[in-house]
Amino acid sequence: MISLQDMIKEALGNNIIKIEDNKGYIDVVVPLEKLKESAIKVKQLGFDHVKSVTAVDYIQKKQFMVTYHISSYLNEELSRHVLGLSTFIDRDNPHIPSLATIWTSAEFQEREVYEFFGIIFDGHPDLRLLLLTPVVAALKPLRKDFVVKEDSINIEVDYAAYNATKWW
Amino acid sequence: MGSDNKEKKEERLNLLYGDLDTVAKMAKESLIKGKIAKMVDWATSFSLWPVHLMTSCCGCEIGAAWGPRFDNERFGSLPWVSPRQTNLIIVEGTITKKMACTLRIVWEQMPYPKFAIAMGSCALDGGIFYNSYNIVRPWQVIPIDIYIPGCPPRPEAVARSIIELQKMLKNKSLASKWILESKREDKKYIIPKEDLCGWRGEKVDLTTRYD
Repeated sequence: MISLQDMIKEALGNNIIKIEDNKGYIDVVVPLEKLKESAIKVKQLGFDHVKSVTAVDYIQKKQFMVTYHISSYLNEELSRHVLGLSTFIDRDNPHIPSLATIWTSAEFQEREVYEFFGIIFDGHPDLRLLLLTPVVAALKPLRKDFVVKEDSINIEVDYAAYNATKWW
Repeated sequence: MGSDNKEKKEERLNLLYGDLDTVAKMAKESLIKGKIAKMVDWATSFSLWPVHLMTSCCGCEIGAAWGPRFDNERFGSLPWVSPRQTNLIIVEGTITKKMACTLRIVWEQMPYPKFAIAMGSCALDGGIFYNSYNIVRPWQVIPIDIYIPGCPPRPEAVARSIIELQKMLKNKSLASKWILESKREDKKYIIPKEDLCGWRGEKVDLTTRYD
């Protein structure tokens, strides 16, 4: 019987930069230009949905790593595995082709990555804010260079505004 | 003496002819002096209906508080679905910036006299999310009457807060004064500083609304 790692190696071929099996799931890193192409090939293997889309901010390398965690509902063999499909993109110009047209379940997750990291998914059908208000989303709060303001126990509270509300 | 009698006669005549201003004045006086004001406070204190606005984990405790074991319905309060038929809002835990917009809209929809209880340490001052970029304190959005500390507070604490609110209502006659003057004197009208809903750009008439 052929193992999953060999199956993926055979399907993706030269597209793979790095493949790891020691994380509890198989992690594949592909170049940005061949992301969409390899996603289609992975889908043809039987991986039919995206479990999560996430990003990692490598601020010193000036790169983002965007990861799609992919699994299967219909194929019983593949449903036991999770496949991580990642790619590195430029931090100053964060554009990535959207995989929402290949897996519909990626659409919702990509919107979340868009508002928290400011990564723009090209070709996404409906790229709007999901959880944050426009003011907060402009800060891109999950990037490493975002500084949380109140970072001590001494909280800066606007007591003048608070006193205006009390009446006792 | 004669002039007083004349005035009284005039008042009666006004009543007969239907002078609206005089009648309204007399009705208002009878409300202030009479026992109707007290009755309004009594009736309001035993019909505090909170609206369902489960924003956070304190919502579970609210479920328990109105459940069969702790039965808060014996105080005359009943959780209700629509803000239009309710007069109490219980802020259950964290309010994110997006939810603050909803909270404000729900508050504006409720008819006065209306009251607010902030429940849990998140609603007091942020709780475990005190330095988060995405929360607001509920007192920045709506005027709060009673705070319940705890993470989460016990259902008994919720029952106590409702009893305290009933006492406050009766002692300070909040409801009847609110109805008479159509605004609340002891509290300022709060407008959130930050543009939570993204509507600040449009013209919103805030002068005609009351707390």
